[in-house]
Amino acid sequence: MLVSNSGPDAASRAAVRLLMQRLPSLSPVEGGASVEPIAPTDPPILRSAQIVEGSAVRAVKVPGASGATTSGFGAFLDGAQKVQVVAHDRGMPIVIGTVSAAVRVRVDRRMITWGHQPPRVERAIYLPLRYLPTLTAADVSTVAAQSRWRIVDTSTADKNGEYPSQHPAFLLDRAIRAVDQQREELEDRLAEAWCARGEAPLFIDGGISRTTSVASSTCAIGVIKSHRTLYVQGEALGIVMSLRKGERSSVFRVAPRSRSSVLSWYLRLRAPDGHDAMWGLVRVEVAECDRLSERAEEISRWVLAETTPLSLPDGRWDKMAYGVRDCEEFLRAIS
Amino acid sequence: MSEALGRVVATERKPNTPHEFHFWTAIDSPVGIGTIVRVDGAQPMDGQIPHIYGIVVEGFSYTDLQSPMHDVLGHDGLPTMAGYASTERAEIRLYTAAVLRQIPEEPLQPVPMGQVFLAEEADVQVALRMDSYLREGANTGIPVGVYRAGGTDAVIYLDADFLLGPEAAHLNITGVSGLATKTSAVEFLLASLFKHFPRDKGSIAAVCFNVKGPDLCYLDKPGEVEKTDEVLYEKLGVEAKPFEGVEYFAPYTAKGLVLNTFRNNEALLDNVTPLTWGLREVLQFAEVLLNKDDVDAKADALIDFIKENVVDKEFRDPVLTKTHRVQSFADLDAWFRDVLQGMEKKDGESWRTHHVATIRKVRNRLSNISTRCAGLVTDSGAVSDLPFGSFTDRTVYVVDVANLEEDAQDLIFARIVSKLREHLERRDLGVKHLVVFVDELNKYAPGDGADTYVRKMLLDIAERGRYLGLVLFSAQQFRSQVHRRVVGNSGTALFGRMDADELSTPGYAVLSPATRTKLATLEKGQLMIRHPHFTQPIFVRFPRPAVMQGREGAERYPQASEISLEAAILRALRPLDPTITLPWVQEITALYSDEEVIRARNATLLARPDNVKAYFTAQFRKIIPAQAAPRPMAGSIKSAPENDPYGF
Repeated sequence: MLVSNSGPDAASRAAVRLLMQRLPSLSPVEGGASVEPIAPTDPPILRSAQIVEGSAVRAVKVPGASGATTSGFGAFLDGAQKVQVVAHDRGMPIVIGTVSAAVRVRVDRRMITWGHQPPRVERAIYLPLRYLPTLTAADVSTVAAQSRWRIVDTSTADKNGEYPSQHPAFLLDRAIRAVDQQREELEDRLAEAWCARGEAPLFIDGGISRTTSVASSTCAIGVIKSHRTLYVQGEALGIVMSLRKGERSSVFRVAPRSRSSVLSWYLRLRAPDGHDAMWGLVRVEVAECDRLSERAEEISRWVLAETTPLSLPDGRWDKMAYGVRDCEEFLRAIS
Repeated sequence: MSEALGRVVATERKPNTPHEFHFWTAIDSPVGIGTIVRVDGAQPMDGQIPHIYGIVVEGFSYTDLQSPMHDVLGHDGLPTMAGYASTERAEIRLYTAAVLRQIPEEPLQPVPMGQVFLAEEADVQVALRMDSYLREGANTGIPVGVYRAGGTDAVIYLDADFLLGPEAAHLNITGVSGLATKTSAVEFLLASLFKHFPRDKGSIAAVCFNVKGPDLCYLDKPGEVEKTDEVLYEKLGVEAKPFEGVEYFAPYTAKGLVLNTFRNNEALLDNVTPLTWGLREVLQFAEVLLNKDDVDAKADALIDFIKENVVDKEFRDPVLTKTHRVQSFADLDAWFRDVLQGMEKKDGESWRTHHVATIRKVRNRLSNISTRCAGLVTDSGAVSDLPFGSFTDRTVYVVDVANLEEDAQDLIFARIVSKLREHLERRDLGVKHLVVFVDELNKYAPGDGADTYVRKMLLDIAERGRYLGLVLFSAQQFRSQVHRRVVGNSGTALFGRMDADELSTPGYAVLSPATRTKLATLEKGQLMIRHPHFTQPIFVRFPRPAVMQGREGAERYPQASEISLEAAILRALRPLDPTITLPWVQEITALYSDEEVIRARNATLLARPDNVKAYFTAQFRKIIPAQAAPRPMAGSIKSAPENDPYGF
C-alpha cells in the first residue's frame, strides 16, 4: 500500500471552495499536506495458529531456490491512498481521501496495466457532519453533486450506538480508517475480478482473507510485509525469527473470526545478518489446498524469485517485490 | 492516419519552449536521432488544432534505478544473474525534439501537450517548408536525398532559388576523406540539378576542378548501381546514368607529349582538350604566380609597362637592336635580352625609369613561369582554352589539375574563374547559371594564412557570385579551417561523416551531442543537410553516383606513361583522323625539332580542321632534303710494274 504525500490539486481546492461557501468559518489548511498513516493503535500480538504441515513449526529450506528460479506470478496487485486535511471548521477536520488500486500484468518481463479491469481511482470528502451543524443535508448533497465526490460522515455512531469523540485527532483517525477501508474494498474488487477470470497467479500485496472468493482462489497469493500480529508463539517464534535466507516455516492455518481461513507460512527473503529480526521476513497466504508442502515450496520459490530486481529506493525493499513497487509507482502517477 | 507513437511531456525542470519539446515513446518505437515527428495539440487555437513539427535531436533512456549500486546488489555482483530477473525494470525512452515548424505560425507559443506521430511524406514537406517551393507555379525543388525513418520515405528537396540564387546560393560539403561522400554527393547533386532545374529558369552548366585523384575523371562512363540505389534513383526522379555532356581539360606534362591527367588513356581522349596558355593569358594573372616578395612596387610598374606597351605591340626603342613584337614567352625573353644588352652597351643603370636590377628580377620571375608551369604555359603562345562564350546547357566541364604544381593550379583556377565571371557579367558565357565545384577548400581558402589571390577570388564568388549566376559548390575535410566568409555565405551545407576532432570545434556547438555523435558515425551515402528553408539540419540518404568511380576507372583505363614524340602525336591526332598512322607521323616529323612538332600538334588540335593530315603538315617550314654531292671521278692510278716492288 502506497501513502502519497503530494499537496492538494486543483480538484481538491475546488471542493474546499464549495465547502467554504456553506461553512463561513471554514479555514483552509495552507498547502494541505497529506497525513502520515496513523500509528497502529492495535498492540503487537502473538496469536496461535493451527500447524498443518507436521506437528510443530520448523524451518524448511526451500528446495530449488536460486537466482535462476523462474517466478510463476503473472501479475501484481496493490493499492494506494492519500489522505489530506484540506481545511478545518473550528477544529473539525475536513479530509479528502484518494484511493486507488491496480493490477499490473507481466508480459515479456515488462509490466503493463491489466486490460480487463482498468485501474481504479476514487476520491471522497470525509466530514464529521455531526459536529458541523451549519452544514445541512441539502448542502452535503450539493457539494457531492458539484464535486462528484462521495461524502463520508466520520461522526456516525459505532455498532454500540456511541458517537465518536469530538477530539479532532480522533475524528482524523476515523477518516483515515475510512480511507483505509475504501482502499481495501478497491483492492478486493480487483482481486475478485482477477480470480473470477482464473488468470495467472496474482501477487497481492497484503492478505487474501478479506473476501471469500479470493481466499479460496488458487490464483491469489498474498504476501504480507508487516508483522503486528505474529502467528507463532513460544519456541516457534524463535524458529521463525531465526529463519535463514531461503528458508520458510511450516505451513499453518490462519482463521480470523470475521475472515476466511487461509494457509500461511513465513519466508525469509534476505539474510538478516546485521539487521533486525524481521528483515526480509514475509508471510505468505494461499488458499486451502492439498499437498500443501509442495504448494508452499513452489510459491516460496516464486516469491524468492521476485526479490530481483531490488525495489530500492523504497525503504521496505527488503520485503517488497519489484512488481509491487511498480504498482505503487503506477498508482502514484495516476492518482 | 498512423498511430501515435509518443506523448509530449514537460516538467518544471525540462519545460517545453517554442523551439524545443520533449516526448516519450514505447521502448520499441522507431524513433531515433534525426526522426521527424508531428505533434497534434489537444486544444484548438482560433478554431485550429495546432500541429507542431520537430526533429529528434537528443534521446535519453533511464530506469527507476536510483543508483547503479542497487543493481549490483540486486544481482549479487554477477551480471549473468541479471538475465534471470523475473521483471525488467521500468524504462523510459525520452526524446528531445527541435521544432521545425508550428502551424499556425502565430502566435508562437511553447509546444503544447499532445500526441506524437511519426511524420509522413506530406508532413515532411510541411515541416521543412518545402511545400512553398514544390507547389504548382514554383516547382523549384531539387531532390537531394531521401529522408528515411520508421517506414517513411520522403524525398528532400532543395530550393533552386536558394541553391543557385538569386535568394541565396552556394553549397558547402564537409566530410572526412576516403568515404566517397563529398565527390559522390556533388556528382549526384549535379545530376539532380541537370534533371530537375526548371527549364524556364535558364540554362545551367558546371565547371569542376579536379584537384586530387581520379574521382571526377570518368563522369561520362557508367558505374555500377546497386539495387538499393536504383530504388533511391527512382524515388528521387533522377536517371541512374552517367552525364551525357562532359568535356575534360588538362594541360600537358612538362615534356609536352601527353596530357597531364588520369584521363589520358587513348580510349578516353575523344572529349579531352589540352589546356595551354601563352604569355598574354598568363601575364594578366602574374599576380597569382608572383608573390609579394617577388613583386614590389617597382617590379609591378615594369610588369604593367610590359602589359601596356610591349605585349602584342610593335615595340621600338633606341636601346634595342630591332623592332620587337612580343607574343610569347620566347619573344619576351628575346626582348629582355635585347633591353639588357642595350643597357650594357650604354653602360646605363636604368631604362625608361626602370632600374637594371628590377628589369633582371622581372625577367627572371616571368621567364621562370613557363618553367614552373611547363605543360600549361607555352613558349609559343599557343592557346587552347575552355569554350568561353559557347558553354552548353547541362554540360560538365572538368578541369583536371590534380597532377599539377601548386602554382599552376592557382593560375588555372584564377584565370578560369575570372574568365567565367567576365563572361557571366556580360551574359555571354553560353549558359545563364554556372556551378563551380572546388574541393580542398582548406587549401584554397584557409581561415588563416596569407591572403592569396585564389582565396580572394573564392571570397568574391561566395559574396557576389549569386548575382551573376556563378555558384560555388565547395568541399573540404575541415570546415572549421576554411575562411568563415566562404562557408558563411554558403546557403546550403552538407555534412558527411565527420572527424571527432572537427566536431569538437566551436562551429558545431549548435548541434546536440547526439547529432554530433550521429555525424561522426554516418554511413556512406548519408548526409546531414542545412538549407535556408530548414530550421534544423536533416539527415538524408542519397544514391551512389551512376558514374564510374575513380578507382575503377583508373584500373580500367590505365594512365598513359611518357611515350615517344611520334607516339604522342599519333595519340593526339588519331581522335581527329583515325587514318593517321605511326609511320605517317614519323615520316612527316622526321626533319623537325621536338618544339616544332609539338607546336604543329597544338595548332592542329586547336583548329580541329577537316583535313587533319594536310593541316598538320602545313605547320612545318619547308625543308628541302639535302642531296648528296656527286662524287668526282678519280683519275686512274698508274699501276706499278710487277717487277718494281717500290713502285718507281
